[in-house]
Amino acid sequence: MQIQPGILIALQALGSNKLQTALTMTGITIGVATVLTMISLGSGAESAIEEQVRAAGMNMIIVTAGNYKNKTADDLGAVEEQAHLESPGAWEPAAWNPANSPFLLRVDHPEDDPMEKHDHPTSSQRLGDAEAGLGSAATLTPGDAAAIRGISGVQYVSEGLHENAHVSAGDKRWFTRLHGDNVALPKMRRAWVFQHGRFYTAREESKAEQVIVLGAVAAQKLFGEANPVGQKVSVWKQSWEVVGVVGSGSWMVNAAAGDDQFDAVYIPFTTVQRLLNLSRLNDITVTTASSGDVTRISKEISKVLRERHRISFKSPDDFTVTSQARKALAQGGMRSEVAASVVGNMAGLEKVTLEQLGKTLDRASKTMTALLASVAAVSLLVGGIGIMNIMLLSVTQRTREIGIRRAVGARAGDVLQQFLTEAVALSALGGLAGVMLGIVAAYLISSLVQWTVSISLVSVLISFSIAASIGIFFGYYPAREASRVAPMESLRYE
Amino acid sequence: MVRTYHVGAVPVNALRGVSLDIEAGEFVTVVGPSGSGKSTFMHILGCLDQPTSGQYLLDGADVSKLSDDQLSAARNQKVGFVFQSFNLLSRTSALENVELPLLYTVGKTMSTAERRKRAMEALETVGLADRADHHPNQLSGGQQQRVAIARALLNKPSILMADEPTGNLDSQTSIEVMEMFQQLRQQRGITIVLITHEAEIAEYGTRIVAFQDGKVVSDRKQEDVACKSSRAS
Repeated sequence: MQIQPGILIALQALGSNKLQTALTMTGITIGVATVLTMISLGSGAESAIEEQVRAAGMNMIIVTAGNYKNKTADDLGAVEEQAHLESPGAWEPAAWNPANSPFLLRVDHPEDDPMEKHDHPTSSQRLGDAEAGLGSAATLTPGDAAAIRGISGVQYVSEGLHENAHVSAGDKRWFTRLHGDNVALPKMRRAWVFQHGRFYTAREESKAEQVIVLGAVAAQKLFGEANPVGQKVSVWKQSWEVVGVVGSGSWMVNAAAGDDQFDAVYIPFTTVQRLLNLSRLNDITVTTASSGDVTRISKEISKVLRERHRISFKSPDDFTVTSQARKALAQGGMRSEVAASVVGNMAGLEKVTLEQLGKTLDRASKTMTALLASVAAVSLLVGGIGIMNIMLLSVTQRTREIGIRRAVGARAGDVLQQFLTEAVALSALGGLAGVMLGIVAAYLISSLVQWTVSISLVSVLISFSIAASIGIFFGYYPAREASRVAPMESLRYE
Repeated sequence: MVRTYHVGAVPVNALRGVSLDIEAGEFVTVVGPSGSGKSTFMHILGCLDQPTSGQYLLDGADVSKLSDDQLSAARNQKVGFVFQSFNLLSRTSALENVELPLLYTVGKTMSTAERRKRAMEALETVGLADRADHHPNQLSGGQQQRVAIARALLNKPSILMADEPTGNLDSQTSIEVMEMFQQLRQQRGITIVLITHEAEIAEYGTRIVAFQDGKVVSDRKQEDVACKSSRAS
């Protein structure tokens, strides 16, 4: 007997007993659907958490000009503080003296004008003197940024120049943060979603053009709900073309007035340098390819910059290397309840290194995977036993049919093949139905509880082939029993 | 031929030395009380069973030495079965029942259309072409038996085994079925071995063999009532 008629016979036999076929399939269908739903929700949750952690800047390092160690000790201890200093006693807490600094940014800050009226907190109230850029040290250069780009494991580097500025469009005026940044910035800020338009291009950056990207909050204040792309805004009495609007794509970070990312505008750092005639940078933002590398790369950056700045053995850094974890949680505009739960669930978050945090997340996801796998194994085992049970019953019920087939010339192997094919077809059909049911269930659950699902082709294929091999495994014994029925006996069977 | 079964520890001698020559084209009716060994005899002739000792030569081939697969092939190619209880697959149309042997024919690939055509021809010979799509439970007993005969004839077997084919039929239908057997023998020269316990049915044969206690007690040849000229020597 050829393979093709074998399948035909099996399908005919299944088709002639539709109710029993459907009921038998149900076990496998539910098993596969459960597996797929759980995998989809599980890996969706896993990738969501990972994405959010990255979005919050777990792999981000910020190098700031000047030494603010005593003021903002928010680097999680990931960077061993001044580990290269042989004698800690000699170290003096960040006594930065503007007089010693070779360069000083001279920018007029309109909000510091006593004649200016404000209906919002000033930048110094919001950010503190140091971060507001008041009297910032100008120790970082584009050359430093280039050197950091050369460190292995560094993913993106962005030169940063930060100001506070009045942005006006028509009769509307908004005082906000102005960031001069590298084109790579959107790749570093994973939580960014462009609501309109785009970021500026490398070409616009190299030509130092007057293009501007609005944060969602700034855009809303200046243009309301209208699409501002192509409109002109005015900053520093210059005209700028709006090329895009950026908002938050993360459920952990929502755009709010006063935050640093979305109540802000972005322009190429080269344009800031051109207009303000600056050669120095306020900060350099770095992302690492792996979040586990943050500590190592932080140390390397310190080493490279100390060499470049020719800082002697016992002198303190003239820059600050900060990694982003807690800063991101507290400052990145993360929803307060999320930040609270993350902080609340990790004792001594400040002492936790990023490696430890990464390992914890890794362990959690491994536990989840193991749990899913055991649920999957149990439900598929039950489904498989169901198939075996029905097939054994069916061999007894259909002894007469086996006899008839044997009498007209079916070999023992033909009968085995028929019953095995039936079992595989049952579980494969059940698996197919389960895949469809699982996809529907996953999307249903995701829309009900706002949970991310990720259904990969691989997980579909895995579920399906597991179902088919269960058919072979649990169908073989009944099929062999069927083929062993003696033709003469089975014809007598009433 | 000897066939011994073992039921538990007790050997049951169903056949205790039977020796028969059946010529091609003969219509043999086998009679005898139940337990006389006639069914066992037919199962061996039909390649469903093998003798414990002795030889069975079918078309010159020693069936007692064949493997299970070879026996299956022999049933498929050389033997057609008709049973008392028809033995059609329920929930399957008459046409699908008839084409069943073709699905198990080794070494011949046949398209679905060709199988259908062959099965349809076989149904026509038994006069049931218009019932091809009916399921067995939609057919009368006589019609079911004719479907079974069409199935038995599909692979043009040299021998047709009928085990009490009229046992579940009324007398009028029985006569129709028996006349069909006679016609098949006369028109196609098929050898028929038919088991019955009814004396009138046995009279349709050209040779009547009586069994008792696993042995042949009488073997009588007679003229074919319906068509004398076609009798084989």
